[in-house]
Amino acid sequence: MNEHDKIREMLPLSASEALEPGDARRIEQHVAGCAACAAELERWQKLTLGLRRLPTPQPSAELVERTRILAAEQFAAEADRRSSQFLAVSLLFVSWGVTLVSWPIVRLLSSGLLGWLGVDFYQTWLGLAGYTLLAWLTAGVAAALLGQRQRAAGRTL
Amino acid sequence: MADAAIEWEGPLGLEDELAQLRRGDLNALAALLARYQNRLYRYLLRLVRETSTAEDLFQQTWLRVAQKIRSYDSRRNFDAWLFSVARNLAIDHLRRHRPESLDEPLAFGETRAERTPAAGPDAFELLLARERTSLLMSALEKLPAIYREVLTLRFEEEMKIEEVAAVLDAPLSTVKTRLRRALEALRREFETAAPARDWQ
Repeated sequence: MNEHDKIREMLPLSASEALEPGDARRIEQHVAGCAACAAELERWQKLTLGLRRLPTPQPSAELVERTRILAAEQFAAEADRRSSQFLAVSLLFVSWGVTLVSWPIVRLLSSGLLGWLGVDFYQTWLGLAGYTLLAWLTAGVAAALLGQRQRAAGRTL
Repeated sequence: MADAAIEWEGPLGLEDELAQLRRGDLNALAALLARYQNRLYRYLLRLVRETSTAEDLFQQTWLRVAQKIRSYDSRRNFDAWLFSVARNLAIDHLRRHRPESLDEPLAFGETRAERTPAAGPDAFELLLARERTSLLMSALEKLPAIYREVLTLRFEEEMKIEEVAAVLDAPLSTVKTRLRRALEALRREFETAAPARDWQ
């Protein structure tokens, strides 16, 4: 392929302004001295100009409005879902904290009873696990109920 | 000075709208939709060629945007992100309904009646411009989807080659090759329909 053929092949990209600066300069220099390539480049440029001038089809106002409403609902639903997730995680952490803080108090208050029952070290940890589980369960139920209430409130808006 | 102010207003406005939307402002969603509605609809229509399908995909795209906007990386070009979302939905649709259409030329469909540009000083010029536009639209619609897509992104959306590559998720060299082949195919189609026609 000679230089002329290479230039010819690059003309569509030149008309698309998609060449590297070096190649663009090569084209410029070549067409300055080659009438055939200059005419060919002009034809490509007219073609790309025609594409740029094509009429823009527009969506109907009804479609845009319907889309806006649906997208807003979707956006609100996403926000609601994230808020529920955040709430559930927060409640879990709070319940974990409450468990840790309140466990010594439970121990202190019930020490007489536990001593009377003869609860040993292993059973104490079992008790803590059960207590934690109960706290998490309570938090989970609370999160689910709150989430449900939020969704119901959202539906009535 | 005034020109510089006007040029600066565009990108800032978009960034503001995106930031507001991420903060949960629904007015920003409406503003964003208004900003992109014509461009996005045109892109989808060029890609799928059917008005009802383009409308459906237009709606799906904005629902996806509402769903995913918080995961959008603000360092990325929003145009490329938005058109990628639309493109993925369109590809899914084309794969489901016309498996061959992404690689092979599609059968020629009906030409849609569209507005013509009000360029040209007199009725005859207007008629010629309308005829040229109609022929070019017909030629464009005969091209495979991948060619129509790259042409509309480059010339109608006026995206830079790098932006086109981001939307297509393809290397620059692939985009350039596709663009050149698309133009060559378009020219062949146009010259078949109107052998001696002047483009201007």
